[in-house]
Order: sequence, then C-alpha cells, then structure tokens
Amino acid sequence: MFVTALLLGLVGVFCILDSRILGRMNFERPLITCTIVGALLGDLQTGLTLGASIELMSLGIVNIGAAAPPDMNMAAIICAAFAILTDASAETALALAIPIAVLGQMLGVLMRTILSNLTHVADHAIAEGKFRKAWSMHIVWGTVLYSLMYFIPIFLSVYFGTDLVQKIVAFIPAWLTDGLNLGSKFLTAYGIALLLSTMLNRDLTVYFLLGFFFVGYLGLDITAVAIFAAILAVILTGLKYGKGAPAAAAAGAAAANPDYDPLEDDDDL
Amino acid sequence: MSNATKTAKRSDFKKYFQFMWRSLNIQASWNYERQMNMGFLYGIAPTLDELYPDENDPEQLAHKKEAYEREMAFYNCTPQTSAFTLGLAASMEEQYAADRENFNPETINAVKTSLMGPLSGVGDSFFQGTVRLIAFGLGISLAQQGSVLGPILAMIISIVPSVLVTWFAGKLGYTMGSKYLTKLNGGMMDKLMYVCGIVGLMVIGAMVASMVGLTTPITFASTGLVLQDVLNSILPNLLNLGIVMLMYTLIRKKVKTGWLLGICIVGGVAINALGLLV
Repeated sequence: MFVTALLLGLVGVFCILDSRILGRMNFERPLITCTIVGALLGDLQTGLTLGASIELMSLGIVNIGAAAPPDMNMAAIICAAFAILTDASAETALALAIPIAVLGQMLGVLMRTILSNLTHVADHAIAEGKFRKAWSMHIVWGTVLYSLMYFIPIFLSVYFGTDLVQKIVAFIPAWLTDGLNLGSKFLTAYGIALLLSTMLNRDLTVYFLLGFFFVGYLGLDITAVAIFAAILAVILTGLKYGKGAPAAAAAGAAAANPDYDPLEDDDDL
Repeated sequence: MSNATKTAKRSDFKKYFQFMWRSLNIQASWNYERQMNMGFLYGIAPTLDELYPDENDPEQLAHKKEAYEREMAFYNCTPQTSAFTLGLAASMEEQYAADRENFNPETINAVKTSLMGPLSGVGDSFFQGTVRLIAFGLGISLAQQGSVLGPILAMIISIVPSVLVTWFAGKLGYTMGSKYLTKLNGGMMDKLMYVCGIVGLMVIGAMVASMVGLTTPITFASTGLVLQDVLNSILPNLLNLGIVMLMYTLIRKKVKTGWLLGICIVGGVAINALGLLV
C-alpha cells in the first residue's frame, strides 16, 4: 500500500504541474487522471468509466482568473484509487468525489495565500540584487509547494483511507447505489449547465439548440457535430464580417473597428 | 552569478523557445497578491540579464534592479496567449535599454496591463472553452465505449493547438510588436469570439442530448403505455434538456454551488426511490 500511495501521489504531482508549468495542456482533467490511475493499478476499464463520468460532472468547472473552483482533479485521482482498490462501485466512488473536491478547493485557496509571501521574498531579493533568487521563487519554490499540496493529501488518503472506505462500502445498500447513480446524472446536467452559463447569450442560443437537435433527430455523434459546427461557424463569420456583408452588419463592424474607413470599401463593391 | 559573465546573445530560436516555455510555466507561483507576477518576471529574466550583463557596473546594476522591479507588477493572462505579451514586453525592454532618453518605461507595464484583458478573454474562451470542449467531448464518448483512445485523442487535441499558439504568439509579439496590436483590438477578436461561441454551443447542445442519459421507468399499467416512448416520439432527449435547463436556471439564480451539489445527490436518491426517473 505504501508504494501504491506513493505512486498515486506522484500522479497527482504530474497533474498539478500540468497547469503550473505546462500552461494547462489538459493532463489535469479527470478523464486523463483516472485513466492513468487505472493503468497504474491494473484496471484500465474502471479508470476509463470513472474518468468519463467525473469529467462530465466537471466539464463546467473552469480554472480561469482568480477563481478557485472545487478541485475535481484531486477528487478524481482519489476516487479512482478507491474504486479500484476497494471494489467500490463507480456510483459510490462518485459520491465521494464531491466532499474531496471541496476539501481540495480549500487547500488550493490556502496555498495561493501562502504563495503571496514568496512575492515579498522576491521583492527583497531584487532590492538586494539577488536576481537568481528572485526568479527561483517562481520556478523552484512555486513548483515545489504546489507539488506538495497535491502529493501529501493524496498519499495520506490512499495510505490510511483505503481500509476505512472498504469497510463503509460493504454496508451500502442497493437503493442508495441506484439513487447515487441518478444523482450522478444530475451532477452531469449540472456540469453541462455550468459550462452553458459561461457561454450562452441570446444571439447564440439557436446554435445550442441546433447541436441538441442534430443528435436527437439526425443521430449524429459529437465528432460529426463538432465538424459541422466548425464549418457553419466559418460560413457564418464570412457572412457577418466578410466583404459582402449586409449594410447593418457592416455598420456594426465599423463601430467595433476604429480604423474602419467607409470610403475604402466603396472600391471593392 | 553565472549570468553576469554571459555576454553572447541568444539565438532567435532560443529566444522564441524561452518565450514559449516560460509562458507555459507562468502559473508555477500563482498567488492571490499579484497572481502571475513572478511568472512574468521569470519569462522576461533572460532578456533583462542579456541587456544588463555586468553587475559590477553600478549603473547597469541599478538599471537591472529597476527593470526587475518593473516586471514584478500584477499580471494575469492565459499562458498560451500571454506569450504574445511576453514577446512584446521583451522587445520593448530592448528598445528602452537602447534608447533610455526617448522611451518611457511606464509604457511597458501599461501595454502589459491593457493586453491582459483581451488576450485572456480570447485565450480562455478558445482553450478552456472550445478546444477543451471538443477534445473532451470526443474523449468522453470514446471512453464510455471503453476505448483508451478517448483520453489519448483528448490529449492530442489539447496539446497541439496549445504548443503552436504559444510558439507563434511569442514570436509574433517579439517581431511584429505594436504594429500588430491595432489588428488584434479590432475586428479579429470579435470574429474569433463569434466562431468559438458557435462551435462551443453546438458541441454543448450535442452533449446534452447524448451524455446525460436521463430516462423515466414510468408505465401506465391500464393502457400498457410506456412514458419514455411517448416522450421520445415528441422530442428525443426531452428529459435531458429539461434537467440541464433547470440546473441552468438555478445557476443563473445564483444558488450556491454547495447547495446545488447537495440537491443533486439527495434529489437523486429521493427521486430514484420514488421510481420517477432512472
């Protein structure tokens, strides 16, 4: 169990460092972390299934700006580990995800507050002419502290928590498991709705419905919808912003672009 | 201080590579006070070290300190698009070092600050919105079928645009600099946001239809009518759309996240026990 906990802690470190030093290339997403955990613990299928479910729940959770959302990534690693190590059902593991994610969120807020102090250390270092020390606060100490923030909780919960979770899981009745399954569908709906709330506006609502009906009536899969959407978007952009745009659209573009000279366009017509 | 003795200039390739790598790792010390300030300093440090190589010269040392302090200002931007600002700021620092009389160094932070907003706007909606949606929309649907290609494809779709954009943004910022700014602030940003909006929303619509998977087990014993069949003939996936729009309304009403998550779990157990939905 020690080695397993150690390995899973390192998976956590790899994933937090994705957003810290790789510009968030999306290794830090539940689908990926669960798959890696599944592969490490020898149960790829459970990893994939859980990864897909937790990813759906957390699709709407976006790490941008100063917001610290629930840490679904830490939750995904610990849940996938529990599901595989204790033979808990996917639904049970999913129910565990929420409280872990909220704990992870609190840790994240704490860590970002602690890191504010490094800024002051760097300020002093610059004043003293220790330039290397100033930027190593960023690349060395920032990296180390964020890594520990992930490694320690994952290591501890897997090392000490697995037995406990196993005992609890043995007592969970079927009605609760079924109920949690429905609950995870609601959570999926919540995840998608959260995503929607960041993007939806009145002008674009019709495209949301178009995507929905493409699947419902035409039976297309997501790949096909994405391809049609990209083509449609290019065509519509051409109509809206292109040379042959109607006068109203052209006037709108003129307002948005201070360099626009209405006389220039006359030559093209 | 080994940097002090290095007088040779970096090659262009090394410069662009540093813009890319040091933009991607800009979040390593993200903090509440000045957010990505140290990340930006780390990005521009090689340029500053190159401009003021001799720390034994008191004048150069003073200039270097001043430059380092300047680059510690509050900063926050999407890492990928931030490479543009980094390249631009590096070329401005070079101009300032070459002509200290006529160049006002305050413009460097002014430009950084004015670029943060628009570059984050377009960067976040492109990478965290459109690219991530497409990558993981496809990834989830393959993973649900049990294929490990799902996560692999999701990673490829995520990584390739990320690396390409960061590389070219840094190069563009450094070489074209302020000439390119007017173009970015004008119609191009609007166009990009429009395209991202359409593709993103259509993919979300498709996800609502294919990934929530809500059905009702209700049947009317007297007529043998299966409610789900009736719903399907009216509008496929109606229940899915209903639950997502309900959640959307609750989010818009600013119901707290904790409450909503609780409602999902408790409501799921209760409604399932009543036999209304599965």
